[in-house]
Amino acid sequence: MSQSYNRGLIEDFGRWREFTAGMWAWIFHKFTGWVLVGYLFTHIAVLSTALTGEAAYTTTIQALESLLVVRILEVGLLAVAVFHILNGLRLLLVDLGVGLEAQDKSFYASLVLTGAIVVASVPTFVAEVL
Amino acid sequence: MAERYSSFQGGTQRWLWQRITAAFLVVVLAFHFFLLHFVNHASEVTFGMSEARMQTLTYFSLMILFLITATFHGVNGVYNALVNQGLTGQKLTAVKWTLIVASALLIVQGVRTALTWAGGVPI
Amino acid sequence: MSTQVPQAEETEEQPAEEKASVQEKRKQKKQERREKVERAKQTLEQERDLSGEDTYALKVFRYDPEVAAKQEPRFDEFHVPFHKGMTVLDALMYARDHYDASLTFRHSCRQAVCGSDALFINGRQRLGCQTQLSDLEQPVRIEPLPHQEVVKDLVVDMEHFYDQMEAVEPYFDAEETPEGEEQRQSRENHEKVKMSTRCIWCGACMSSCNIAAGDNQYLGPAAINKAYRFAMDEREGENRKEHRMEILEQEHGVWRCQTQFSCTEVCPKDIPLTEHIQELKREAVKSNLKFW
Repeated sequence: MSQSYNRGLIEDFGRWREFTAGMWAWIFHKFTGWVLVGYLFTHIAVLSTALTGEAAYTTTIQALESLLVVRILEVGLLAVAVFHILNGLRLLLVDLGVGLEAQDKSFYASLVLTGAIVVASVPTFVAEVL
Repeated sequence: MAERYSSFQGGTQRWLWQRITAAFLVVVLAFHFFLLHFVNHASEVTFGMSEARMQTLTYFSLMILFLITATFHGVNGVYNALVNQGLTGQKLTAVKWTLIVASALLIVQGVRTALTWAGGVPI
Repeated sequence: MSTQVPQAEETEEQPAEEKASVQEKRKQKKQERREKVERAKQTLEQERDLSGEDTYALKVFRYDPEVAAKQEPRFDEFHVPFHKGMTVLDALMYARDHYDASLTFRHSCRQAVCGSDALFINGRQRLGCQTQLSDLEQPVRIEPLPHQEVVKDLVVDMEHFYDQMEAVEPYFDAEETPEGEEQRQSRENHEKVKMSTRCIWCGACMSSCNIAAGDNQYLGPAAINKAYRFAMDEREGENRKEHRMEILEQEHGVWRCQTQFSCTEVCPKDIPLTEHIQELKREAVKSNLKFW
């Protein structure tokens, strides 16, 4: 027992193929959460150009919105937000002790639904820049 | 030991509030996205339109509440993630205060912007 | 494959003089014997390979700080003759008894009761004795439990796990004991805690938990389940329950659970661990709201 071997974070990175639904749900929820909180800060920063005057705000927003990259990023943001909302609902149910046996299915459902909503929204999001 | 029990312990309180804000945000975030991307298109956003919306008290207060709950939910989530990763002691305290200051700045900036549009609290 | 050679001959008597040359001879003899054993093993292996379907290939994690050749962890391959109903533990025991006596792993009851042989088999925490070889893809990869330090081969250091278990005071401790009679529990109350009592302290859940891996202070699913078993036992009394809830409500108690369900999925006794942890979270909120 004098010496032992620390295998470190084995299982955490290299074994992603073996992750179960609940683990993926957690990873996605954390990731989308980070994106959303990051966006919250940038969002307020952009909006606060309104403090410098009416014209400055309108030009900033319209300049940003005329870029295709921004539109694509917005679709990404929608995907992130929709997943976080749907999986968040799933987690609220889990916290209430409802449907724990179906937790994997509800994760797949939120993934599929996110995909569907995002695909359906693409035309609205890229309108006028293409 | 018993006196510790007379009030919420940090962990319990934060857990509960994270869920309460979650339930609120689910609805309001969906509404926000719908209103500003589907009803009004992002490309048509102007100062004037934001001004018009913000001058309604209901909308104004909803947005302020949205800002505060979203900030709490997001920042608390970040804090939790760091505790889960095993961050403790002084480092955690430093992170905690950084997050609190950042949240305060964010809320102040957000409220100032909202007030500019509304031209003061729209009562 | 093997680094160990039968050492029974070492105690043989030898003359004091000519020590060096005798030693030399012994070394040579040993070497020869080692080679012979190795050759025999190889032929055995080949035979097994030829018979194909009747053997099962195992890849076993090896590490031993006291043997130079095993200080750097590696995987050894064993081909074990298969019979119907053979478990992973049976296969390991066969490999140890026939190929390499130094192969080290914990086991005792061989019937999923003692909780000694939780292993990481084909990327998942399972009990060796409860896992049928026929359910696994070959080669069967057998590793020690992740997130615990390896002491030797498949043996991990369980000290931290036991510390967490002890932190929740895992014993029945009623405030009042009825005189001269048994301490009866209602049928409903027994049903409530029944699943939680099945824990065998194998550590599979703790090893599967992503959060326990990052946050060393987290009590972990097994300890929380153990606390659930007693906190929910009505015979213990209100004060005792409050005390138990206080332990669970700490920052590194129930709140760290992120409902990934990993523990519930790997538990060899099918304990609904996540469900129990969630119930304790709600219980903590409820009891706090009462005081608020």
